[in-house]
Order: sequence, then structure tokens, then C-alpha cells
Amino acid sequence: MLGELFHILAAAIISWILFVTVDIFFRLPEAGGVSGASAIARDIEAGGGALSGGTMMGNIVCSPDASAGTLLAACGVYVAGIPGGLVAAALVFIGNRICHDPGYAGTTGAVLATFVVYGFTQVGFAATDFIAGMVIAILTIQGLSHAHASRLLARLWRVRE
Amino acid sequence: MIAIYLVAALAVFAAIRATVEKNTGRKLPYVNVMNFAIAGTIVLLLNHPLALVAAAAYFVGSTLEANAIASTYAGGEQRG
Amino acid sequence: MSSVDDLLVLLFAAVALIGAVSAHLQRDRFGKLIAVGIVFGGIAPFIAARGYLDVLIAVSLIVPVTTIIILLICRRDAHDA
Repeated sequence: MLGELFHILAAAIISWILFVTVDIFFRLPEAGGVSGASAIARDIEAGGGALSGGTMMGNIVCSPDASAGTLLAACGVYVAGIPGGLVAAALVFIGNRICHDPGYAGTTGAVLATFVVYGFTQVGFAATDFIAGMVIAILTIQGLSHAHASRLLARLWRVRE
Repeated sequence: MIAIYLVAALAVFAAIRATVEKNTGRKLPYVNVMNFAIAGTIVLLLNHPLALVAAAAYFVGSTLEANAIASTYAGGEQRG
Repeated sequence: MSSVDDLLVLLFAAVALIGAVSAHLQRDRFGKLIAVGIVFGGIAPFIAARGYLDVLIAVSLIVPVTTIIILLICRRDAHDA
């Protein structure tokens, strides 16, 4: 049981790095997207956070991004290996378009995560470790301190700019 | 397999935090975490291809809902 | 795994209950809608555990549409008021 816990925590770190990198690459912290995301960003800023970090957090709420892609890809790999993960990526793509999001952060995240998760299943991990790990990863950004998370994301965004 | 218990506990935690938070814009990220947890739960409960579709449908549906709430909330702020 | 053991039942029932109580106590209309969403989140695993996946897929797409319709009605009221 402790071994599984360590695997889940490691998977959480890997998932975190994966989705944050892809989301920042696809410019999610950039302002001027969906109005709902801007409203969330403003409220996070009002609560002591950074606007660009808040914008990314708002975008994560309003449309499936790389974090959603990673979660569903892990689910896909659990159910049916690499084909499962790619089916999940297709579902994320459809989800993006349903949410009026023309971007590719979610789809890209899902495709990358499919191969990353599958790769790790070949070296002792279970796909379920990544499902739980991704929930932990998103918790650290959206579910603990919005102020701290948004400031961290803002700092990472400055690196990209 | 402790993964599902961990995920379920996080769902409860996120639901509580969403409820306790007063500000709508800051509630939504907590609800987002809960939705991740529920989507993951669906597949962890039932290892079947249709469960993947159900998890995706649940997640996209909840995201669409959150987006609609956030947009309406934003519209209100601009007018008011 | 088709049986949901007691701890999981407890946890997801708690989510649904938190949502239901919150929907009653919240003043703000957005808070109420969010709370209803939380209730559905708590219920969804029970539907999945019973194997009603086609039902879950359908309801997961219908519940948000219902919320959106309510939001549109609210918006129209705010306009008229």
C-alpha cells in the first residue's frame, strides 16, 4: 500500500510537470480569452493572486486543457492501453470544440500523456497511479491556495515570455 | 488499491471548500477539482471502454456548466 | 469491480449531501447552481457503479444543459427587472 502511495505521488509530480508545461506552452495564462476565465482571474487577483496565473486557472475551469487531457488519457490507458489513450485524446478534442475552445492544449496534453503514462506502466507504475496522481496535481493548482498557485504560474509564464 | 479512496476523499475535500468559499469566481476552481475527481472515479469503479466515454462526458458536461456559470457571472459584473 | 464498498458510498453520499445542504443555505444564485452541480457530482459515481453507463453519459450531458437554460432565464429576468 505504501508502494502504491509513492507511485501515486511520483505520478502526481510527473503529471503536474506535463500539464503545466503544455498549458504554458499554449499560452493559457495570456489574457483576453473566454469571458468566464477573465472573471475567475479577476477574483483570484482580488484574493491576492497574480492575474496571468489566475487567467490560466480560469481557462482550466472553462475548457478541457492539458490537465483534463492528462487525466482522461490516463483513464484511456487504464482501460485500453495506447489506443484507449488516443480515444481519450479524441474525446478531449471534441470537448474543446463543444466548449467553443479552438485550441489544442487539451488534445496535445492527452496525446503526450498517453505515451508518458503507457511508458511508465512498462516500468512498474499502474495507470491508476496517474489517475489519482493527476487529481492530486490539479488539487495543488486549483484546490489549495489560489493566491500561491497563481503566483507560481505567473512566474513560470514570465519565463516563457 | 487505494487510488479510488484517495480520489473520493479529494472529491469530498473539494466539495467542502467550494461550499465554504463565498466568492463565485474562487468557488469554481474548487468545483473543477471535484469534477476531476468524479471523472477519475467513474473509470476507477468500472474498467470498461464505455466508462471512459462516461468519464469524458461527465467531465466535458461539468466544464461546459462551469463555463456557462462563469460567463453569466462575468456578464453581470460588467453590467453592474 | 461492480460493488461499491461502504467507505466509498459514504464519501460520495457526503458530496451529494454537502451540495444539497449548500443549495438550501446559499443566498447567491450562482452559489445555488454550483451547489446543484456538486449534488450531481456526488450521485454520478453511484450511477456508474451500478453499470448504467449509457444513462450516465446521457445525464452528464443533460444536467449542464439544464443549468445553462436556468442561467439564460435568470439573465432575461435581470434584463427585464
